[in-house]
Amino acid sequence: MSPKPDARRVGARSGGRQVHLGPEVGQVVGRFELEGAWLVDPVSGREGPGEIVVTDGLLESVVWLKGTEAAGVDDKGVVVAPGFFDLHAHFREPGFEDAETIASGSAAAAHGGYTSVALMPNTSPALDEPGVMERIRSAARAGGSPLEILAFGAVSAGRAGDQLSAMGELADAGVLGFSDDGAPVRTPKLLRSALLYAGMLGLPVVDHAEDSELTAGAEAHEGYVASVMGLAGWPAAAEVNAVSRDLAVLEDALRDEPRARLHLAHVSTAAALALVRRAKAAGLPVTCDVTPHHLALADEWIAGARRWSWEALGADGTSRDPWADGALHATPYNTALRVNPPLRTPADAAACLAALLDGTADAVATDHAPHTVVDKEVEFGLAANGISGIETALGVLLALVDAGRLPLARALAALTVGPAGVVASWPRLATTPAARRRGLTEGAPADLVVFDRADRWRVTPEALRSKGKNSPLLGRDLSGRVLLTVAGGRLAYEDREADSTES
Amino acid sequence: MTDRQIMTGEEIRRAIVRISHEIVEKQAGTQGLALVGIQRRGVPLARRIADAIEEHEGAHLPVGALDITFYRDDLSLVAQQPIVKGTDLPFDLNGATVVLVDDVLYTGRTIRCAMDALIDFGRPRAIRLAVLIDRGHRELPIRADHVGKNVPTSREELVHVHVAEIDGSDEVSIARKLRSSDPATAGS
Amino acid sequence: MGAEGSIAVAWNHRHLIDLDAVTWPEIELIMRTTDEMKGVLARPIRRVPALNGRRVTMLFYEASTRTRVSFETAARNLSADVVSIATATSSVTKGESLVDTIRTLEALGAEILVMRHSVSGAPYLAADIFGGHVLNGGDGWHAHPTQALLDLYTMREHLPDGDLHGRKVAIVGDILHSRVARSNIWSLTAAGADLWLCGPATLLRGFDRWAAAWSGGAIPGHGRFNVTSDIDAALRDADVVMALRIQRERMQGGLLPSLREYAARFGLNAERVALAKPEAIVMHPGPMNEGVEIAPDVAVSGRAVITEQVANGVAVRMALLYLLAGVHETARTGESIR
Repeated sequence: MSPKPDARRVGARSGGRQVHLGPEVGQVVGRFELEGAWLVDPVSGREGPGEIVVTDGLLESVVWLKGTEAAGVDDKGVVVAPGFFDLHAHFREPGFEDAETIASGSAAAAHGGYTSVALMPNTSPALDEPGVMERIRSAARAGGSPLEILAFGAVSAGRAGDQLSAMGELADAGVLGFSDDGAPVRTPKLLRSALLYAGMLGLPVVDHAEDSELTAGAEAHEGYVASVMGLAGWPAAAEVNAVSRDLAVLEDALRDEPRARLHLAHVSTAAALALVRRAKAAGLPVTCDVTPHHLALADEWIAGARRWSWEALGADGTSRDPWADGALHATPYNTALRVNPPLRTPADAAACLAALLDGTADAVATDHAPHTVVDKEVEFGLAANGISGIETALGVLLALVDAGRLPLARALAALTVGPAGVVASWPRLATTPAARRRGLTEGAPADLVVFDRADRWRVTPEALRSKGKNSPLLGRDLSGRVLLTVAGGRLAYEDREADSTES
Repeated sequence: MTDRQIMTGEEIRRAIVRISHEIVEKQAGTQGLALVGIQRRGVPLARRIADAIEEHEGAHLPVGALDITFYRDDLSLVAQQPIVKGTDLPFDLNGATVVLVDDVLYTGRTIRCAMDALIDFGRPRAIRLAVLIDRGHRELPIRADHVGKNVPTSREELVHVHVAEIDGSDEVSIARKLRSSDPATAGS
Repeated sequence: MGAEGSIAVAWNHRHLIDLDAVTWPEIELIMRTTDEMKGVLARPIRRVPALNGRRVTMLFYEASTRTRVSFETAARNLSADVVSIATATSSVTKGESLVDTIRTLEALGAEILVMRHSVSGAPYLAADIFGGHVLNGGDGWHAHPTQALLDLYTMREHLPDGDLHGRKVAIVGDILHSRVARSNIWSLTAAGADLWLCGPATLLRGFDRWAAAWSGGAIPGHGRFNVTSDIDAALRDADVVMALRIQRERMQGGLLPSLREYAARFGLNAERVALAKPEAIVMHPGPMNEGVEIAPDVAVSGRAVITEQVANGVAVRMALLYLLAGVHETARTGESIR
């Protein structure tokens, strides 16, 4: 095979790091060479200077450099990692195409460095029977994106919380598991049935853990900030109660079905994470994820703060007072900050990070929740919940890395092998492609992301590929501009905006 | 910024005395007269005129203070000069001959505001105007009945009136404006 | 020149939505301007032309005749043109969204928007898209700055030297849902008052934590305050006693057993008010539920200054409309609205 005309060489850091490939999005990458970049392989745990070559869609070679060849290449410039896997995103199709479609969501995901995305079933109609799964698959095909689009089926028919959905048929149609996300599994009894039945199928229940009775009318995390701002409080107890209930029901279900599996989505409070930590130590087959926004933002943003959550921590680990610190610079009550679960205190955010570091949290999942302007440009208490976050996840994690709070390799693991490991723990899927370990493996189809830590990009409505512009990071510069995303050997995203002095 | 003195304390004193005589002469006596000083420096000037009239006529005239802050037609000054200094009119305006007193007459807008304000308090028989300095450049058809000194000025100049009751000394001086965005301190 | 030296502060807030961003010198400026507006109200012709030709629009999403009429009176006393939307509905599904309503009003010439809304934070959304001035007439549970300012003004009229330092002020009622309480926290802690918030535990949730956060003088320019369910402790030797309205919905929401029980345990009756200083004043933002939070005889007693609050309310609102109208900066994009 000879290099096709679409090949480009890209050096790390020194000019010419432009990546202009011939193929259109969706087409196989004929030849691509990248030299002098920092490679990170979360499967082997190896990272260092290296070179890769992609030929006809396959990752033909991965070379680790040593000695003088490695000189001048560090982890602060161009980085190559396996493509990211999002365990939790909302692409709103079918039913809410004004907010996002599978095509726009895929474009957004690829812009964020993702090559696999698992969709939640709160579409209209809900994903509670295989016909809807088929609609999603054909929409993905028609959109032309090479991303791996996976989906969770609903736990209950219509997500109404009464009857079980067509779980067996959905399993055969290839769902990753079951969730009523948007909402919790409504009753303990339903959860127990779901865990048993899904377990029998070798699939998990993914629960959005929320005690709805405690959160009726709630607007923001119940704490100091909500008290001062006159916002109805969302107590931490609502998450703790629900997680506690779920773990008890799981323990019970396991007696009858040892393949029962529970995954807790977007855990946000220190107290709930502590419960998960204890449950895991006791051997319960529970996994959980945390979101980038719960790691990096806090409820004080609603009051107008704009510092990262770790900058709002006191020396003793307690949350600082933004009024005392004079930290309020932005207009308060920004609806891009209204999300479920709500942004919590800086101490809770620190607990999310600690959970990621000690393995209590298995992965970072974005809970990408795009909304139309109509649903967000309203009074805070009337705004829809959700942050459009799939494109900013990498930048947010890199802010943690830049602040020295999270090693780069751990951050990338949380986006790759972490979610893959969760899927691998679900018996039916353990040997399926969805559970494949996401590493830099020679000979495998190229599934990777190239980003430049030294290059910042500004989050603007125009820069976001998602239809959902509801990001609290609008106007902010993030590091780690994504240069190239390749999914299954095909081009998924290519950065064309940076200086085009490339020959 | 070099100031050019145009009236000394002694010249001011003589002007006050002359104005006080003119007021009485125009009224052919002191019957029905009331003096109303426009905040801020018009107020002590009005008192001095009243004192002078008392000295040479023996009559004690009512003296009031008028704040025209709420009558200005240009609210953009509020941000710089938001504070009002107070209106106090301790006599019945109806049927009185009110002599408005101000330090500097310039565009005439302050006097127009003052007349609007007075009329909200009652119906004077007549309104007259006494000013220490008339610097020209009228933008409205307003003229003073009694003038301490006519001083031709250019728009780039500022007229500073100092009165002992407020500024510690009596003096009138002219200075050149430093920048065009100076607040219009030479008032009316 | 600027020899008008006594004025240390100018007013440059384009909007007034909350008192958290207003300094004490600015509050003093509002108080002094209110003095002058009271002077205007004492004249035979209670009007000045300061806002002549300016359009003041009332946008009330929450029904409130007394507050709306107070603002309308204030605006008319300044010779403004007044337009009132008394019972707006904000909805995207039926009627018009808040954003669309404000854009329409702006196109119709609105310059100053007086807003009352049931959702906390709504005025900030308005201020974000409105080119003129927003004056908050009460938003959700969050803030009611003009009420706190007229409360402050009224208290100062009755205290020696108008000084609140160390004076005990007790606010009793449904603190949790009260924008009046929250705004009074900002103003009274800035005034140096010894503030006590009192009510049943269910209606005080979160305030202990707030009081603890402020207890060490952490907030520049603001002192500490006390939170208690002990009504006698709150009222003892108080200089000012303020009752807040209790709404029937709190019973339905499971927060109170009954209004009768509230009246028995927390109502301002003659014996309780006797615990305060003999010269203490009794206040209420209105409208009153006589027999619930305040006994009828207390409401009309010599100590009650409730009608003064109403009169002062017009003067305070005139002062604020006047000060806001004088601010001419145009909004710079991305600039925070505070």
